[in-house]
Amino acid sequence: MPNSDHYVIIGNGPAGNAAAFTLRENDPDAAITIISHENICFYSKPRLVKYLAGKVDEDALAVKTMDEYRRRHIRLRLGQTVERIDPDSQSLHLAHMETVHYTDLVIASGARERLLPSMKPYADCLTFVTEFNDTTGLRKKIADSTRFFIFGGDLVAFKFLKMLTDMGKQVTLLLYPKAFWPHRLTKDMQDAIVKNLAPTNADILADDDLDTIVPEDRGGYWVTTKHGVRTQADLVFSFNGLIPDVDFARGCGLEIDHGILVDETMRTSLDNIFACGSCAQIYNPDINTYTTSIGWPNAQAQGKVAGLNLLGEHHKVRPAGRKYFDLEGVKIKTVWWEDLEKDEEA
Amino acid sequence: MKTIDKDISIVIEICGSAGEGTISAGEILSRFMSAQGFEIMSFDAYPAEIRGFGKCVAHTRVSANPIYSPGKLADVLIALNDNHAISQLSALKKGGILIYDSQPPKPHEEDQSVVARADAVTISYGVPLTMLAQKAAGNARGRNMVALGALTALFHLDRDAFTNSIKDRYGKKKQIVIDSNVNSFLEGFDWTKENIDKADTISFQGVTPPQSKAEQKGEKLIINGNQLVAKAALDADLKFYAGYPITPATKIMEILSKELPKHGGTLLQTEDEISAIGAVIGAGYGGIRAMTGTSGPGFALMTEFTGLSVMAEMPAVIIDSQRGGPSTGIPTKTEQSDFNAAMFGGTGDCPRVVLAPTDTTSCYDATVLALYLAEKYQTLVVILLDFFLSNSIRNIDTPKKPAPKMLNANIAPDAADLAGYQRYKITDSGISPRTIPGTPGGMYFATGLEHDANGRPNYTDKGHLAMTAKRFRKHASVLAEAPAPMISGTQEMVDIGVISWGSSAGAAHEAVVTAAGEGISAAAFSSMMLSPFPEKQVTAFAGRCKKILIPELNYTGQFADFVTKIIKRPVERLNFITGRPMAAEDIVEKMREMI
Repeated sequence: MPNSDHYVIIGNGPAGNAAAFTLRENDPDAAITIISHENICFYSKPRLVKYLAGKVDEDALAVKTMDEYRRRHIRLRLGQTVERIDPDSQSLHLAHMETVHYTDLVIASGARERLLPSMKPYADCLTFVTEFNDTTGLRKKIADSTRFFIFGGDLVAFKFLKMLTDMGKQVTLLLYPKAFWPHRLTKDMQDAIVKNLAPTNADILADDDLDTIVPEDRGGYWVTTKHGVRTQADLVFSFNGLIPDVDFARGCGLEIDHGILVDETMRTSLDNIFACGSCAQIYNPDINTYTTSIGWPNAQAQGKVAGLNLLGEHHKVRPAGRKYFDLEGVKIKTVWWEDLEKDEEA
Repeated sequence: MKTIDKDISIVIEICGSAGEGTISAGEILSRFMSAQGFEIMSFDAYPAEIRGFGKCVAHTRVSANPIYSPGKLADVLIALNDNHAISQLSALKKGGILIYDSQPPKPHEEDQSVVARADAVTISYGVPLTMLAQKAAGNARGRNMVALGALTALFHLDRDAFTNSIKDRYGKKKQIVIDSNVNSFLEGFDWTKENIDKADTISFQGVTPPQSKAEQKGEKLIINGNQLVAKAALDADLKFYAGYPITPATKIMEILSKELPKHGGTLLQTEDEISAIGAVIGAGYGGIRAMTGTSGPGFALMTEFTGLSVMAEMPAVIIDSQRGGPSTGIPTKTEQSDFNAAMFGGTGDCPRVVLAPTDTTSCYDATVLALYLAEKYQTLVVILLDFFLSNSIRNIDTPKKPAPKMLNANIAPDAADLAGYQRYKITDSGISPRTIPGTPGGMYFATGLEHDANGRPNYTDKGHLAMTAKRFRKHASVLAEAPAPMISGTQEMVDIGVISWGSSAGAAHEAVVTAAGEGISAAAFSSMMLSPFPEKQVTAFAGRCKKILIPELNYTGQFADFVTKIIKRPVERLNFITGRPMAAEDIVEKMREMI
């Protein structure tokens, strides 16, 4: 156990960084460590598509510089993976067999790719783009390839499709109604999306499903759908939403559903452990259930709340009410968490 | 994150504990890179103890272009042992790559793993080295090969060619040894290919080796300085070597113990260094080409006998491979701190020839030249190697065999000389005809006492002066046979001139090129011949330099003191004794300060 406070944050995204910087602002003396399995400083995931298109370089992805962490004495452990939490000894077991002790822990591990059950047999054939690690080497592959097949229909899928068509690539999209998880696209929504994507000149397949993906000896794949459409592709991508990245936290006593269950103050079921961002499932008193959230502002707000409450304050995130997501011209109703408001009763 | 362009080299360091195969892994890496057509320079740092503990580092610089110095910081650090690798992190470039054991045999205490201590900008790749080695061979000994497999996969190197390099390295071992090493390598390769997405842009792709493998076949030697000294000695018809083992010179003796008898020669392992130099002088007296090798402590013991070689004018060659001193010092760290001892050690006015090779190739040239000069000028020749030169490995073109005249330089007396033979006849060149014992009419007294032309003791002031002058006169002729100093950089007036010697010279010449790229006008001067020293050339060089910098691996600047007296002006010094060789970066940093 450390002699003085050691706040450890798992995750180097907007939630984790908001928590870390909030902690530093309010506790100048404590040791603060951010652990991330990625080998890169805090960067903008939304810009990855432009990076893959070769429109921006790596420097343009950076959200914070190393110097900002140094000045605030926030330690970064990059390229290090947490494998297990031991709440009894208040320690983390890292993949390289090092134990890191904490006095308080903030889990902000984000989300990872969602692999649909029907695609599991073909996982080795699929390419995912969820973090910077996925993009290394992919820029060149994309530049060198001409034919692409995309499964899915989440926000990134459409951005990616447009990026490819803008580059003059030949793209086929198999639209999945469940891609915009946890929402399901209705038939009307799908039709509207297909219509709105017409100007891209991509081939859009709907009301269909994957049958097989067969790798070719010389590289590339043959993709066949249930309706018998057979398409040749150099690369096959899957964009079917994200799921909380919390496998490492299972079995340690934390209450976990899809994500780590937290109350409105970002407290988990265990003392000294908070969770925030897209790895968390937050209790919504209005609908009396736990919901996950996505989006940069939500994550930042939750990270800030987690940081403040870890220091003994009592803040809540509150539901922002119904919001609409624009999915290729189709409005989808959602309930998200954002905005920080001091609990007047605290 | 950075991109290595084709003009920039890549430095790879493997760090482990003694006995973990660190040095073997570095050697295999060097051989593979050489076989791929790259230029390589590699050296090892290891503890003085034989095995069991202590930090080992195998350092390899790889480039498509000629390499002059080892490089200061590594682009890639392979950590076979976290405890040791932590202290090696300071030699890893910002944004460099760290390959570490992600499943070590024992858990780490907090902050005691190398990845925990790495700078945040380091790109870290965890590979289960121990687990994969055990899987491949049933024990953890192959962790070094697993690491090489990981490196090969990460950098998209030729897996099959690398496998062949491993087979070549262990070719004389039992099949089970070869198989376990190869299998460990392949486990590391396959696992990394499957599990690691490379998140950096450091790459050998686009770095085009200057020669194809086929073109190089049979022409390139992968060799270190000690091996090359031994090869040169054999090529130069050495017939007798006496020595007492001492790091870092022992390898020369090891090689010659096997090879010299095959060439009709004899190797004598003596009870100490005093006996060794005595035996060498005795062999020289008998007309046999002879040499000894040692390091600083052994050279100190030989000092009295060096005077005999000079006074009695008997050929003797001593190789002093310098290490950290004084006394037993730091046996496995490099230094250039025997300069004064080699140049001035001993009693009396004692002229001797001192040669200091500046790179691996010149170890060959210096050895051939030393044996020739010792014989022709009937004197002592010291070759100053150092730990780095002795052990650093280069891939070089096979040296040309010595010219016939270099193989026998004894100046035998003719009939006229033998009539009233005077062994120490005063001559203009200082060289007197020398008989081999047993030559009819060629008898003489050989003594360490001052003597007359016949070798009889003579203590008169005139006699001593005449003989001392004769011995010094030889130097004028020696200098004429010395290779010309190497001068690089612009030929015009420059802001900084770098004067260097020995193993630091390569770094100096490379630094001048780097400095020029930064707009610093500079030139470099180095000479293999230290005694006699090319004073006119160095003075002329200094005359076109606004400032002079002298880098060397000793504490006080022994060579700088020497040069200052010649050029009669103050110089800037760059001295360190950290045990690592001089790198071009060290010199460039100093040059930036000087501007």
